[in-house]
Amino acid sequence: MTVVKIDEVTKVYEGKVTHRALNQLSFEVEKGEFLAVMGPSGSGKTTLLNLISTIDSLTSGTILINGINPHSLDKEELPLFRRRQLGFVFQDFNLLQMLTVEENLVLPLTLDGMPIKEMESRVQELAERLHLQPFLHKKPNEISGGEAQRTAIGRALIHRPALILADEPTGNLDSKASKDVLELLSGLSREEGTTIIMVTHDPIAASYCDRVLFIKDGEFFNEIYGDERRQTFYQKILNVLSLLGGSVNDLSPTRLP
Amino acid sequence: MTFRQLAFRNVFRNLRSYAAFLLASVFSVMVFFIYSMFIFHPLFEEEGFRVLAVRGMFIAEIVLYIFTLFFLFYSLSAFLQARTKEFGVLMHLGMSKKQLNKLVFFETMILGGLSTAAGIIFGFAFTKFFFMIGREIMQLEELPLYFSWKPFVLTIGAFASLFIIISLISVSFIRTKRVVDLLVGFWKTEEEAAYSPALSAFGLLLLGIAYFLAATVSDRTVYIMVFIVPPLATIGTYLFFTHSIHTFLQLYKKRRSIYWHKTRLVSLAEAAVKLKDSAQMFFIVTIVSTVAFLTVGTLASFTSYTAEFRQSNPLGLIYVSFEGNTLEQQQLDQLKRELEQQQLAYTLVPLEVKRQTSSASGNDVDIMSLSEFNRLAVALGHEPARLQAGEAMFLPFSQESLRELQKSYAETELVESGVELTIDQTYPQVLFPAHTLNANTIIMNNEDFSKVDEPLMGYPPGTSDFRYYAFHVPDWTETVSIGENVRYPISEAMVSGNFAGLNYYFENPGYEYRWFKSSFALLLFIGLMVAAVFFIYFKLYTGLERDRRQYQLMVRLGMTERELGKIVNRQLVPLFFLPWALALLHSAFAFISLQVVWDEFAELSILSEMAIVLGGFTLMQILYFFLIRWRYIAHLKAY
Repeated sequence: MTVVKIDEVTKVYEGKVTHRALNQLSFEVEKGEFLAVMGPSGSGKTTLLNLISTIDSLTSGTILINGINPHSLDKEELPLFRRRQLGFVFQDFNLLQMLTVEENLVLPLTLDGMPIKEMESRVQELAERLHLQPFLHKKPNEISGGEAQRTAIGRALIHRPALILADEPTGNLDSKASKDVLELLSGLSREEGTTIIMVTHDPIAASYCDRVLFIKDGEFFNEIYGDERRQTFYQKILNVLSLLGGSVNDLSPTRLP
Repeated sequence: MTFRQLAFRNVFRNLRSYAAFLLASVFSVMVFFIYSMFIFHPLFEEEGFRVLAVRGMFIAEIVLYIFTLFFLFYSLSAFLQARTKEFGVLMHLGMSKKQLNKLVFFETMILGGLSTAAGIIFGFAFTKFFFMIGREIMQLEELPLYFSWKPFVLTIGAFASLFIIISLISVSFIRTKRVVDLLVGFWKTEEEAAYSPALSAFGLLLLGIAYFLAATVSDRTVYIMVFIVPPLATIGTYLFFTHSIHTFLQLYKKRRSIYWHKTRLVSLAEAAVKLKDSAQMFFIVTIVSTVAFLTVGTLASFTSYTAEFRQSNPLGLIYVSFEGNTLEQQQLDQLKRELEQQQLAYTLVPLEVKRQTSSASGNDVDIMSLSEFNRLAVALGHEPARLQAGEAMFLPFSQESLRELQKSYAETELVESGVELTIDQTYPQVLFPAHTLNANTIIMNNEDFSKVDEPLMGYPPGTSDFRYYAFHVPDWTETVSIGENVRYPISEAMVSGNFAGLNYYFENPGYEYRWFKSSFALLLFIGLMVAAVFFIYFKLYTGLERDRRQYQLMVRLGMTERELGKIVNRQLVPLFFLPWALALLHSAFAFISLQVVWDEFAELSILSEMAIVLGGFTLMQILYFFLIRWRYIAHLKAY
């Protein structure tokens, strides 16, 4: 089943300098698939993510999420669509500092006026799955980066969205925390059928995915599918990246195992 | 680019973000300047009248100065805090702490210079207008515009010192822990308020006690309570904002069925952070607003008092001479001479007043003779009274007492002299102000009056009587400067409460009337309050970047416009109306006490004036709320 269908999507930024950020990009994401989108800086990754998350408008083309075209929804329905169908994970976690971990988790549910019992049971379930129990009542500034990102993933999952969008989720984490978070995400897609689109620079992070989509200057460049061994998949990703001709940083040699 | 140019450009290219700060300082300078124009007015220097209004304005100037100091200091720290990131960049590029201090100092002085100049220009432009108002209120013939260096020097000196002080202090508040911390700026740790349930209960208790004392005050205890209630209420208010509120919020948060409901989760948590951040500010705003309400309310009641003033003070001047007064003739001559010098027509009626004990009530009464009383009544244009032998007539001391006395009837004997009287009439006009004669005062037929020949019990013969000199002056408001040196010892004695050695009493209603009229100087406090609400704006400005990021996140997470509006409302409403509500409550109780004081000397109800004043302020605050909300939401969305 196709969850996300991107068809001939083009985004042009008008202004003093007209800039074509995405050019006739098309791809599909299946249910339960964990997709990585890679590309050098300025390739249009973030624009793509913003378009899928409906906070930016399309120039042409269509995006369908679960068969719905969010860009045709009106101002009232759009936030509700985001709130129910999408989950977000950010590079800098973006947890609300004044809320505890538990309160951050239930935030998307409270907006929809869900019964307290249901919210509490979902928090319990997620806390177990994500190992959040010991610090449910702590504030975001009292926990580590990895714990904060797990909380953010929990917040993205709690309302059981159709699609999770992750923007460099490991960008601010050390290698151990990165590994935890990536294993968590791939586990979610494999075991629970969660559909995830992750934008990343990091070939290691991408190697946890089922498929990696490369874009360059806003256009489709290549895609590769994962295989049994992560090691070889990682090598393949590096090969494509070197073809892609990104800057040295994109290869992040420090992360070579 | 020189260092000074950097400071200069920082200010002028950020003028828009400094606009509120500039506006507030310009406003303070303007008010200060206008008041100093009043203080140094040559007219006030010539007339002895100067002491009144001018002294009031002088006190107001000092209060304004202190308040402005706090206010500008607070706003400047808010701006510096909002610029932490910029300072981080500068230090990252290698600016030393010393240079940074210098930069901030320059910038503040530029802002200070600008606002002082603008304030003086606007102040001078509006001075004529305020002189016109002042002339009307103080009923002066003219209050011309004048030019003198004094108000300029005072204003420039005051604000130069003020800006130097605040720039020196606020510089030391840029906490330069590490450059990294400055660069990160906000969006950092936010700790919950540390609160203690014991202290929050104690705060509420103090407020309760203060309210109870204020509500149950009597005219005897009121002067003690003046020193007890305000400190109690002040400490109570402080604890309320630093502890009690947070205890309430915590209790609320524990109830998930209420707390975890739609937008409440975010808005409550956010309100808690904002309340904690600005507890001290709320405290100051509450106290300032209370003071402003009280002064304006008092002023309103003064105004209504002056409207009734003539009714209860029909005499022009009053001089009462007791036994052993050696100055009597000299002072009377002086009063007459001064009246003549000022070309004021007058009628002087001397009245002999005897004192006796009434058998009916057991209290002593003041007695006047019919013929002397009638001379005064006729001079004032009233009907003369008529009395048969053995009859007497009550004299009312206020409109209220007139109504009561008309219903009363007494058969009594003047105990010392053995004169029997029937009192069943009341003179229908108030001729003598309340406290210049005994509350029980009667007039008697001349024959009966001459039979009263024994002194009041416990006095040697002839010493209990006194002479009451009533001056009728048709132009009674012009007597302000008459008998200044006669009045002076009386005012001294009033202040010290020690009347020993004073064998006379003097009252100048025209002067008192002026005094009430000139109390408009207190209007200044409205200015203080306008400044107080600016606080809220600065507070919001400081946290704007953080709030903006939060807003972006919420939009992404799928919050609708309406929900965001709700959240903003719930955050702003407590900021605006919590100090407000508390100040209203404080003032309401303070006015209950004030009413007691008023009852004592003017029998005047200030309820309607109070209702108008508090209602008007509330309306203003609501308008201000909508204005700020509109600006704040516009700022939030500008990402």
